[in-house]
Amino acid sequence: MAANQAHNAGMWVFPRAEEVSGDMAAKSRAMPRPMVAAITVSAILLVLGIIGFVARAVDDGFTDHAPWGYYAAIFSFLLMVTGAAPLVALVFRFTKSHWRRPLSRVSELFALVGILNLLMFIPLMFVLPAINNPGAGEEAMELRRTIWFEVPIGAPHWWDALGVGFLAVLGLAILWLASVPDLAEARLTSGGMRRKFYSLMAGHWFGTKRQWEMQKAGLAVLGAFYFMFLIWVHFIISTDYGQSLIPGWKDSIFPVLYSLTGLQASLGLILIIMFIMRRWGGYQEYIGISLFWSASKILLGLSMLWVYHVFSFMITYWYGRLEVEQDILKYLFTQSYGGMFAANFFFSFVMPFFLLLWNPVRKTAWGPALAGVAVLIGALLFNLRIFVGAFNAGDVYQHALNGVPPAVWPDIWDIFMVVGGLGAAALIYLTGTRIFPLISVWEIKEGAMYQRMGTFIRGEYLILAKPE
Amino acid sequence: MQEGTVLPAQQVNRDLLRSILDPPGWFWPVVALLGLIVLVAFGAAGYMINRGLGVTGMNRPVMWAFFLTNFVFWIGISHAGVMLSAILRLSKAEWRRPATRAAEVLTVFSLMTAVLMPLIHTGRPWRTIYWIYTAPFVPYDFARGIWPNVRSPLVWDPSAIFTYLTSSVLFVMVALLPDMAVLRDRTTGIPHRIYGMLAMGWEGNSRQWKFQIIAGILLSALILPVFVSVHSIVSWDFSMTVSVKSWHSTIFAPYFVIGAVHSGVSAVAFVLILLRQVYGWQNYIRHEHIDGLARLLMFVATAWFYFFFMEVIFGFYGREADEIALRSFQFTESPWNIWMMIFVGSTYFLPMAIWLVRPARRNLWIMSIACISVNIGMWLERFLIIIPGLARKQMFTFDWGTFRPSPVEIIIIFATFALVTMLMLLFSRVLPLIPLYDIKEGDILKTEIQIGRRTVPATFRED
Repeated sequence: MAANQAHNAGMWVFPRAEEVSGDMAAKSRAMPRPMVAAITVSAILLVLGIIGFVARAVDDGFTDHAPWGYYAAIFSFLLMVTGAAPLVALVFRFTKSHWRRPLSRVSELFALVGILNLLMFIPLMFVLPAINNPGAGEEAMELRRTIWFEVPIGAPHWWDALGVGFLAVLGLAILWLASVPDLAEARLTSGGMRRKFYSLMAGHWFGTKRQWEMQKAGLAVLGAFYFMFLIWVHFIISTDYGQSLIPGWKDSIFPVLYSLTGLQASLGLILIIMFIMRRWGGYQEYIGISLFWSASKILLGLSMLWVYHVFSFMITYWYGRLEVEQDILKYLFTQSYGGMFAANFFFSFVMPFFLLLWNPVRKTAWGPALAGVAVLIGALLFNLRIFVGAFNAGDVYQHALNGVPPAVWPDIWDIFMVVGGLGAAALIYLTGTRIFPLISVWEIKEGAMYQRMGTFIRGEYLILAKPE
Repeated sequence: MQEGTVLPAQQVNRDLLRSILDPPGWFWPVVALLGLIVLVAFGAAGYMINRGLGVTGMNRPVMWAFFLTNFVFWIGISHAGVMLSAILRLSKAEWRRPATRAAEVLTVFSLMTAVLMPLIHTGRPWRTIYWIYTAPFVPYDFARGIWPNVRSPLVWDPSAIFTYLTSSVLFVMVALLPDMAVLRDRTTGIPHRIYGMLAMGWEGNSRQWKFQIIAGILLSALILPVFVSVHSIVSWDFSMTVSVKSWHSTIFAPYFVIGAVHSGVSAVAFVLILLRQVYGWQNYIRHEHIDGLARLLMFVATAWFYFFFMEVIFGFYGREADEIALRSFQFTESPWNIWMMIFVGSTYFLPMAIWLVRPARRNLWIMSIACISVNIGMWLERFLIIIPGLARKQMFTFDWGTFRPSPVEIIIIFATFALVTMLMLLFSRVLPLIPLYDIKEGDILKTEIQIGRRTVPATFRED
């Protein structure tokens, strides 16, 4: 029995339901020094980003899309990662995975960054070239390649904006609905302005059976909408701002790969946050190794799916031997952005795969978190490669690339905009953690009821209730 | 989720070995009928070989038709085994237990049936031996000094399929060991000897269990890439072809794989419903299992629909005249447009409407309709990828034609379903289609815990 207990040490945690609320309230109110430092750094980065943006706008204006490649890349990265994060909580809640409980709120809080995504999208509306070619000649196309076949009014600019905006609203609705029970409880344990805010947010929540049923049904419906909308928004953004700007690139797998990279990176980011919370945040009572162990298997699967989709694309283009496709391969994969693709491949597949292949690594907190760092870097490189490449691929109304354009490397304003975008997202998220408990209290309490240790033959094992 | 009662091990043995030790009266008449259908198909194939491929409906430029549609279909069905067995085993889904064996066996038989299709399609099947050997045991390459093009998907195909077949057989065999030993201990004479040989000295000691579990997990993990590669490679038979406009699509590999899982899991759900009815296994294949499969299918079907949508929309995205002409041929011209509507409706909309409603998921008749509907749709999907694409092939086309299946093809296709059913029935006559040890293990792990005033079903986690 002793050996078995040692084997499972730290694997599962059993928080005491009656202490969770008070502990979370105290943690939300506290302002430790590392948190202050993180908020300060994020704010500084945001200021740099604003400087970079203003300088780029003054230097180049919004008439030509080419100088805005790095801005588009960081927008896409944030949309891809933070947009997919709430889905992680929704999916695992839907599949009734008990280990997901500590990560639900951490994932849903990323919905707050949806507001930033919407704001960052506005300048991109101005730089995106029109579908109709203003100077169509014999060589060029009258309408560039796009998914908006009949060119509905406002396509694609306003339709894309509508998508990004609606996704943000849906995300916020999910965050609110999932945290209403916790906000209602925080109403009782806080005072002053906080109490007023929580009372307003919690509304008339008293935790009646009907309210719980409504909350559950609401989350299911909103979750289904969010899932469909996220996939749709990924599709239109990846196509309108990526694929359709590269002449001759016709790739049906790309939107799938984009969504997959988003899911992979968001799970990686969540694992990094969980690791930080467990290691330095004082949340070790709530976050067991089982969370890392289970999530890392999903991350391993997503990494393998990522490479499978990349391979499916590359082999079809490579084997086809069509000049137009060979040029795309050279541009994005082997020549111009070849080095970036190699790094992208290493971080999105090689590193997470060889780390997470080993069960002893999966059964640690640091292993999955390190893989999370890798996939996050991989996703950033993916976006830089695709979107900088797309914004600098030449005349968008041509049938094919005119040769293989060279890679475009960032200037100082590009770097400012990239770090500024990251800083802005971090600042919003960190501010959110001061308002919402970082752990979903009601889910932890529910989980505490469903699990306990029990004796099976000669060992101690986890017993998991399945009430539904 | 947990339904049903925990049964004593003796009763589990008695119930699940009934199909072997005490077969029902209808068994041999049904097998004979199915065998007759297969014989007729052999006759049809013989006639076709004797008279040539001219007796089929294939004609320039549609030289791939029913046989290759059926080939892709059965390869698709074979994906059920790994999907259910390996993935659910690795994810430790409790409801997998009664479904795994039937799924694995269906994999093996559907793969074997699939392999027959290209052989028949060649028209001179004996000549395929020349692809490998010129004389007994002299490989073609060595004898002729000519090396096959290893970069051809048509070379990858047999490599992938036979690897998958080998690993699937191994997968089934490893999982069968404990059940073989049970049969060895309950039979006499020649069956006793055969089961004894197949059980390979299984005594059920802790060391053997440990190795069996490790082998199962390792094979589950190793077979997954093979499973994905098989249908990907089949899809590349099509997508590497630049001359057929609708085929050269980067999404084909995952689109084919997810479609295969969709049809395969639906087929397994239908097989389980049939087994429950014909062998009276209500205590083992319960509504919760079918419900679990239906929930899984909801996810798979939606993913499939997403890939389908991507495949179609990027057909138009390119704004290439010949591809748009082909797509409008598929979507607007009769009879393809009607088949297209039937295909999408039966693959996605009808079954999803059923699976979204809990009572419908738990009604076996309605579930059967949904599962059959998916498979009709998935067969049509392959048909609609192959035929219209070839019929409107642009480059190098000097002749126009379409395809109408001949009675020979219809008989052979129909008989493949009879063949797989017959093989499944024959298997159930010699080996259990529900793993005994898995059911018993599931029962042992079941427990209950008290939450407030309610007693809630629970399970011990194996890890």
